[in-house]
Amino acid sequence: MARALLLRSASSALTLLLVTLIVFLLLHLLPGDPFSEDELVGPRRLTRAQVAEIRALYHLDEPVHRQYLLWLQDLLRGDLGASFQDRRTVASKIAERLPVTVTLNALALALMVGLSVPLGTLAAWRPGSGLDRAAGAGTYALYALPVFWAALLLQIVFSARLGWLPLLGLASDRAAELGALERLADRAAHLVLPTVCLAYPGLAYLSRFVRSSLLEGTSGEFERAGRARGLTALGVLVRHGFRLASVPLLTLAGFLLRHLVAGSVLVEWTFAIPGLGLLFVEAVLARDVPVVMGLTLVSSVATLAGTFLADVLYAAADPRVRHA
Amino acid sequence: MRRFRGNLQAGAGLVGLLAIAAGAAPYLASDIAWVSRGPGGVRFPILGSADLRRVAGAEEQPVLRAPIPYGPDLTDLDAILTAPSGRHWLGTDGLGRDVASRVLHGGRVSLTVGLAATAVALLLGLPLGAVAGYAGGAVDAAVSRLVEAVLCIPVLLLALALLTASPPALRGLPDTLLLASVIGLASWAPVARYLRGEFLRLRQSEMALLARASGAGPLRVIVRHLLPSALPPVIVAAAFGVAAAILLEAALSFLGLGVRPPTPSWGGMLTEARHHVDRAWWLALFPGAALFLAVLGCNMLGEGLRDLLDPRQRRR
Amino acid sequence: MRRALAGASLALALACPAPAGRDEGFRTNTVRAHLSSEPQSLSLIGKTDYSSEVLALLISDGLVGYDSSLEVRPMLAETWELSADRRTVTFHLREGVRWQDGRPVTARDVVYTIRKVLEPATEARSWRPHFENLASLEAPDDLTVRATYAEPAADFLDAWRIPIVPEHLASKDRDFLTGEFAKRPVGCGPFRLVRHEPGQLLVLEANPDYWAGPPAIERLSFRIVPSDRTTYEALLRGDLDLYVGVSPDLWRESLASPRASRLARFVYPRLSVWHILWNQNGSNPFFTDPRVRRAMVLALDRERFARQATDGIAIPAATTYHPETPWADPGVRPWPYDPAEAKRLLEEAGWTDSDGDGVRERGGVPFRFTLLLPASPQELAERIAVWTQQSLAAVGVRMEIEKLDPRAFFERRRAHAFQATKSTILQTPSPDHHDVYHSSAREGGMNYGGFSDPEVDRLLEEGRRTFETTRRREIYFRLQRRLHELEPISCLFHWVSPVLHDPRLEGIERSPLGPYLVFPGPRGWRWAGRAPGRG
Repeated sequence: MARALLLRSASSALTLLLVTLIVFLLLHLLPGDPFSEDELVGPRRLTRAQVAEIRALYHLDEPVHRQYLLWLQDLLRGDLGASFQDRRTVASKIAERLPVTVTLNALALALMVGLSVPLGTLAAWRPGSGLDRAAGAGTYALYALPVFWAALLLQIVFSARLGWLPLLGLASDRAAELGALERLADRAAHLVLPTVCLAYPGLAYLSRFVRSSLLEGTSGEFERAGRARGLTALGVLVRHGFRLASVPLLTLAGFLLRHLVAGSVLVEWTFAIPGLGLLFVEAVLARDVPVVMGLTLVSSVATLAGTFLADVLYAAADPRVRHA
Repeated sequence: MRRFRGNLQAGAGLVGLLAIAAGAAPYLASDIAWVSRGPGGVRFPILGSADLRRVAGAEEQPVLRAPIPYGPDLTDLDAILTAPSGRHWLGTDGLGRDVASRVLHGGRVSLTVGLAATAVALLLGLPLGAVAGYAGGAVDAAVSRLVEAVLCIPVLLLALALLTASPPALRGLPDTLLLASVIGLASWAPVARYLRGEFLRLRQSEMALLARASGAGPLRVIVRHLLPSALPPVIVAAAFGVAAAILLEAALSFLGLGVRPPTPSWGGMLTEARHHVDRAWWLALFPGAALFLAVLGCNMLGEGLRDLLDPRQRRR
Repeated sequence: MRRALAGASLALALACPAPAGRDEGFRTNTVRAHLSSEPQSLSLIGKTDYSSEVLALLISDGLVGYDSSLEVRPMLAETWELSADRRTVTFHLREGVRWQDGRPVTARDVVYTIRKVLEPATEARSWRPHFENLASLEAPDDLTVRATYAEPAADFLDAWRIPIVPEHLASKDRDFLTGEFAKRPVGCGPFRLVRHEPGQLLVLEANPDYWAGPPAIERLSFRIVPSDRTTYEALLRGDLDLYVGVSPDLWRESLASPRASRLARFVYPRLSVWHILWNQNGSNPFFTDPRVRRAMVLALDRERFARQATDGIAIPAATTYHPETPWADPGVRPWPYDPAEAKRLLEEAGWTDSDGDGVRERGGVPFRFTLLLPASPQELAERIAVWTQQSLAAVGVRMEIEKLDPRAFFERRRAHAFQATKSTILQTPSPDHHDVYHSSAREGGMNYGGFSDPEVDRLLEEGRRTFETTRRREIYFRLQRRLHELEPISCLFHWVSPVLHDPRLEGIERSPLGPYLVFPGPRGWRWAGRAPGRG
């Protein structure tokens, strides 16, 4: 077991290395220069030699493979490098935004699971009924609504028209003058709309997934056995359905970790929230290699840890795959 | 049993209808007349080649016009942001283009992207996942690491790199298909991972053991015996994938990376509609409704197919 | 689900303090504005993006500044004089000006600032080229700065708008861009930075000891809001008092929307132009011929487009010279809409539609080209391209549109790997458009289309060296007439930038540099009905 774990960790580390290499190459495949002068204004601009001086500050005068090795070297020393855009360390830029993104995602996941498990269960209780159909059509309608539109509509209804919730940002201008409890309430109010925006697209998939897993679990012998012991239909669902459904649910759990650190650029952009999604897109558009690499590293570690965890849980839950 | 077939039929009907409407868009919504009369007698300009049609249309007298007599790109500076009316059934956009025509033509892009991207994802994901799960061992380890690596690569970066650097392998593709391949390339990994999990479970099942005992080769076991029981959830996921690809195209066009202007897509239209939310509800409503119908249709079709194929549910 | 959501939000709405009211700015004597991106540096001179520049010029002053009509006016320098050979300028600094920490501003700070700008590591990318021409710079005493140039340059004053940095604070840091000073910058300007929440908020407070008297408003805050739609909603809701640079579509919406009727509004002309760059380096058979370039513009009904599709935001342009600057020749008018003349010019240049397919050709080559377009959140940019496409089709020219992400677009343009591009040029008040038209700017400059004309070169060089305004204007007038004739780039539209604000906020000037970068600018803003001063 320990050996298997070690082996898996080693291979995950190799995967990670491969990912950083691919992303680094993609960034260099992408046309465009982080220090191009083209957007500058005015009659006089830096000469090519002067631009080259600036590029050299960031080792962009080295060949690509050297740049990658330098990045790797720094990484091994625990240094993620400095942003091309503002020369701040990548570690501090990510650290500043990570709590925001993780908080939002955790809230959104809680909301998503909290709504879709009961919704899926209800739908599975009477498959094909009006309730089932309504739940399906309703969640699909939400799914079909692009996030940027949902964000806009929520802003207009709950903030601009009703005035119940703040429109943007993470805190009011006056937040600094407030007491601890009020500040918490202020922060919570700012998180409501972004959380809803992050949660609603997943409702359809997750609730349908819960529904079909439950149906699978309750069909056939389990149901008959359950009924024989005098359980109601809903009881069978809850007792047997969830135990069996837990296995495929675990594959989803593998994606959970990755989703915690995945920023959503559209939501952050609309609500003016400084999260990782906006940071990532801005960095890609600015060809800010160190920031993109740093963020890729964070999300890759989460993804790999997640799939690892899912595999372990999967093997534990289902003896048939244990030896895999 | 009947109600599942109802789902299937409704879904297939909806998707089919949208696909037919999108396919026929160049004929249903066009500024080129169906029938026209000129010095050379009666002609059918709509059937001519794209360039010739336009010239002929300008000089001849139209006899029968298309039901929506506007091309998707036809601008009309005198009819900017007009509300739905008898003239423009679904209103006009910021350049006076007919929304009905653009919704119809936009379906070509959105549906093609959705379906082609899902096809690419399945073509890559199914065989890799099945082989990894069935073979296990070193093959499984190799494929699993590859899948994980792909999962780690940010979709946006991959899309941007492939779309702007356009490597030789993808050059020359129409941009709709290019977009679809990129989205497909970015989304096959979850399919492979799911299927691998299912096959790991199934390869030790009685079904597999029996099949192997009766002398079936691995390919036959995979395709004939195991795939049918692993497939139903994949079909549902694929239905979501179609919608996800359409929405991803919308998100990409939000970032300015969608199809080439002036080609309409539902996502692109919704992006533009954002700017007129107070004044021109029709700009968002109609492409939004089309998108909803497509998503609903695909998912009903998916669930219907799943129920039809699933051996466990068939018994009910 | 909807009920649960409404319930939850209701509960939270009750729990949280009353939402930021419409009167928040008025009540606290604050002006709440926005920036669409986080400043890349608060070091005042490093990394010169727009957000950084706005903040730098509010926190610190330069030796000179522009007033709202683009006249240069004294700031830290009270007077200056130019030597007879026009190579040496001597600035006499204002007495008694103090840094926000109380130390006096001296000539040595000025010398330090320029020395810092010339260091590559400062990345003062838009300031540095202005000082490359300096042969020497010295501070003979605390209040005198003497600069000597290698070559006389008529626009030398433009560069001295640069915000001055205090040597005694900034020189302590090892890395100028990320050190203590860049986190808590100190200047001698009308406002000082008191709060910075990265990615969210910057708060400036009035400097009570400002040499020109403290600003009437007590605070100026900037929210970082990337989405223009959200900015607009925030203004309507009363979370912001001012929205500078309203996007054309939102401007159009605000004109019709009852929600926006309480707001005050005005537009200011931007020193910029939407243009099409024709690649004339011979890599395509179309655009080396000036007749063809002119035909392209004649095919566009710009008056009508500006009126119908932009609500007057766009103004047909003749050249890069903005009509609101003193340098524009009023005799040079935009080419009119004349499709017949466009067709005639195309025929004359040999482009005819001989096979009747609606597309002209010459020697078997069809007139079919691709226009590169940088992706932008501004839909209007794309609409202009689509309208151009349709207008050109009407004269037998087929144009495709290729949209690229901005950095990829720049790369293609710089490598001259395009047939035509459509984008914007932003300008300073200087009439020196050397970098756009001079043949030496084909490599490394902005003359991406490869335009070259000896007379244009000569006029540009002469304009740079000419100090007398009348004579200089004459040179640039002649340049504009020549450019108009040759049409090296097609300037489609200048445009105005709209501003929406709380009607009680007064004193915001209409200036081509926008409300922030001029004197008095925010120094002169005030809330109507409020006594000036604190509290």
